[in-house]
Amino acid sequence: MHDNVIDRSKDITILELLDRVLNKGVILTGDIVISVADVDLVYLGVKLMLCSVETMEQLKSGKPIVEK
Amino acid sequence: MEMMIYAILSLKNYSGNLNALLVNMQDNDGMNLEAVSFDGIAAVVSNIEKTSVIADKSNAIAYAGVIETLMPYFTLLPMRYGSIMESTVMIEKMLERNHDEMQQILEKVENKFEFGLKIFCDSEKLRSELSIKMQEDTIAPTNHSTETINSVFREYVNKKLKEHRLEELMLTYVDSVAAGINEYLDRWNAISKFKKMSTAANIIDAVFLLDKDKKEALIRAVEDLQKQHASLTFILTGPWPPYNFVDFTIK
Repeated sequence: MHDNVIDRSKDITILELLDRVLNKGVILTGDIVISVADVDLVYLGVKLMLCSVETMEQLKSGKPIVEK
Repeated sequence: MEMMIYAILSLKNYSGNLNALLVNMQDNDGMNLEAVSFDGIAAVVSNIEKTSVIADKSNAIAYAGVIETLMPYFTLLPMRYGSIMESTVMIEKMLERNHDEMQQILEKVENKFEFGLKIFCDSEKLRSELSIKMQEDTIAPTNHSTETINSVFREYVNKKLKEHRLEELMLTYVDSVAAGINEYLDRWNAISKFKKMSTAANIIDAVFLLDKDKKEALIRAVEDLQKQHASLTFILTGPWPPYNFVDFTIK
């Protein structure tokens, strides 16, 4: 249980970092230039990612996944 | 070749050699960082090819790494990843154009850290507990005619009413947890932004901007709150540069 919490907190820290770097901070009008890599795309929006963390946990615990 | 901007720094309290400091810091592509300064503020930049600005994990982490390395030395405004201008001359003009607003925001975030707090619950368990509480609190219904009790319409309304009450109870519960956090934040004059019920499990997603010397007190407060709400999981992250408190678009 404790290890799960630590793993989850590491994942969340990375998500928090990516959310900040890609989605927050001072904006330069019209000059945000970001290409999207074909692979290794990590940013889907924190809300979506957190949903997927939930989904994974449901899978691990064997509980049925309810689509919302 | 374009210039990637990492952060805007206040040079007000910095007496060292900025360029010497930056020479020792290299970004992920091994390019040297340099400073473009104007009247007490500076932009930290590096040369970059536009095509290499890809929003993948390693680039974003490397970009954040540069900003975090600067954080102990300067009050700074972190830029969003992908902020690019064509030349140092344009960056200098941009600093000049936005100087006053940047100074104001730099003053607002001076000597402060950002922290993130996410609170998770086992949503099914919490809903089930609240549902039991709701049933206990509900006054037994008065007798109705058989016709009314069996009505499909009545069943539907009751079901919706129960769902609505359960949502209300959830929100009241989340508000009570948030109130416990706000009690501390008010004491420290912290600025905060709260999102409630982002997902079924993430009941609170908050960010705070507070004085650097309150870091230990915040950690202790979160530990206390965790003890008070043993069924919830509190995850505190930071200190971060003030990403969530620099609502500013450069002109």
